[in-house]
Amino acid sequence: MESTAASGPPATAEGGGPGTTTRAPASIALDLVKRFLTLREGSIIVVTILLGAYFAASNGTFFTTANFKTLLPYFAPFAILGAGEVFLMINGEIDLSIGGVYLFAPFLFYQLNNGGFPLVPSLIVAIIACMLVGVANGVLTAVLGVTSFVTTLGMLFSLEGLTLIISHAAPVLTPGAQISSHTVNVAHIVNGHKIFLPQTVNHIGTFAEIFGGGTYSELIWALVVVAILQVVLVWTRWGRYTVAVGSNRLGAAEAGVRVRLILIRNFVLCSTLAGVVGVLEAVRATSVQPDTAGANSILFDGISAAVIGGTLLQGGSGTVVGALIGALFLGILHDGLVLQGVNANYLDFYLGLAILLAMVVNTYVGRVRRGSGVG
Amino acid sequence: MVAPASASDDVLQVEHMAKRFGPVIALRDINLHLRKGEVLGLLGDNGAGKSTLIKIICGFQKQDGGQMLLHGEPYEPRSVDQARSLGIDVVYQDLALIDELSVYHNLFLRRERVYEPVPLLDNRAMRREARRVLDEIGIHLPRLDVPVARLSGGQRQAIAVARALISNADILLLDEPLAAMGAKEGAQILDLVARLKAEGRVSIVMILHNYTQVLIAADRVNLIQDGVITLDKPTAETSIEELNDIVVNEYRRAREELARAAAAGAG
Repeated sequence: MESTAASGPPATAEGGGPGTTTRAPASIALDLVKRFLTLREGSIIVVTILLGAYFAASNGTFFTTANFKTLLPYFAPFAILGAGEVFLMINGEIDLSIGGVYLFAPFLFYQLNNGGFPLVPSLIVAIIACMLVGVANGVLTAVLGVTSFVTTLGMLFSLEGLTLIISHAAPVLTPGAQISSHTVNVAHIVNGHKIFLPQTVNHIGTFAEIFGGGTYSELIWALVVVAILQVVLVWTRWGRYTVAVGSNRLGAAEAGVRVRLILIRNFVLCSTLAGVVGVLEAVRATSVQPDTAGANSILFDGISAAVIGGTLLQGGSGTVVGALIGALFLGILHDGLVLQGVNANYLDFYLGLAILLAMVVNTYVGRVRRGSGVG
Repeated sequence: MVAPASASDDVLQVEHMAKRFGPVIALRDINLHLRKGEVLGLLGDNGAGKSTLIKIICGFQKQDGGQMLLHGEPYEPRSVDQARSLGIDVVYQDLALIDELSVYHNLFLRRERVYEPVPLLDNRAMRREARRVLDEIGIHLPRLDVPVARLSGGQRQAIAVARALISNADILLLDEPLAAMGAKEGAQILDLVARLKAEGRVSIVMILHNYTQVLIAADRVNLIQDGVITLDKPTAETSIEELNDIVVNEYRRAREELARAAAAGAG
């Protein structure tokens, strides 16, 4: 009798016990599956693959390159926002102001550029302003002791309001993102004759190509940001201290971790990424609306990506790669439902149910992983 | 009473230390000294100020009044890190362990080994070093990469003690190092303290509740009552009975005070 294997998660967690060599291959396979599922990202990876498979099976256009390109904007921005949010959520804090920063950054960028600054310096100053928002959030929360929910909610409204003020509630064209079109004559062979026909060629500048305008620009940004931050979280002192602050704030301080510095740094990380995403999206769309409702929805998608990916709101535990997969899950769900022709009104309803379901699975799997039983 | 020791063999002196938290006076006027290589047992009722004193010495809190001398030099730690760099390390009563981090990440918290020039954590080196230190002090854990949340109370306590030892401090502050331990594990830690004492390199301040353990482990005992040190004796010159009497008297005094206050309130 494999009573130890049957007893489940605690045995899995202990690893190679004395009975390992005598196990049947099926039992080993089961063990591997269990191990995978108890990975922090395991459950959401499975759910995302199942979701993708469902849409691929039921809709011919889902599994096409064209559709993947459509899907990218529904995924990459949330992966980046979620990645920053993961750090704060591991701290046991939350940043709601990313919606405001996301909206504010491109308008500040526009104003600076409009005021005579070149593209790149305008962008740099706009991003520095976003970092200062993070410093303010961090100081209010970590030094003055205002709950981060309240601090960043106030900051969210302030920045959205400020954006309406500086933009006079009017949309602007994103600097550096404009498409230039010119006509060239292209050679065609028709019935053995070489003829030239005029054709319009759209061209975007290198700046736009890098900052969101290129087809894969946002995807590359997302992958690079997630890869770097996952390494930072797992293999650097900053990452370990982030976990320490979220897991046992007093203990971390007693051990010498500079708790306030870690918190402020993570607030800065979060709002910097929000500013970057704001600019990327503004460049991609070539113009930007002072749409506060849209910004709020982006904010919640970013947080959803982190939460669905397996990061706990109560802190102490989380994964950046999870946020990427959480964002992919949201993107596939959104894109797939649209392809299925689901009424737009149902979209949020399904999205909400999916988040609830994902959280139930995550919580359950998390409890099993920690070996505290399933009861 | 023991005459004050000559400054020459004192590694640490605390003079007129005072600390209050709002209206609560934690330390009134603490005078204490620690000789090189000795184990000083600190006794006192709950709330007498023992842990506060430890937290000030280790740099976690700042005193309101008084001063400290480390090896005869003025000592004003601005942080736990700074105290540690000056050779003072501590095991807190609450252990200050991070449940979600692995055993070796806890052991090396704030002293992580990193690669050069990119400061990524050198987990292998930390694991190896952790294994060596734990073996040395006789703590046997099957795996060091599990989160400490999975460990028993005694094992956690042992990790906290090992963390203080890993830094090669020459002054160790132990706040109830046996609190969560069974008799066998407790004996292991006391053995370790005896071994450190025999090596003569480390001086130890140890808060304990159990008089028997104090008499076994410490060279000298200080009793804190109400923010002041009321007894300072070599353990050889005192006994469980004497310590008991003092504490029983304290309780009697406290009861009388309460009764007086009640009578005054009634009248």
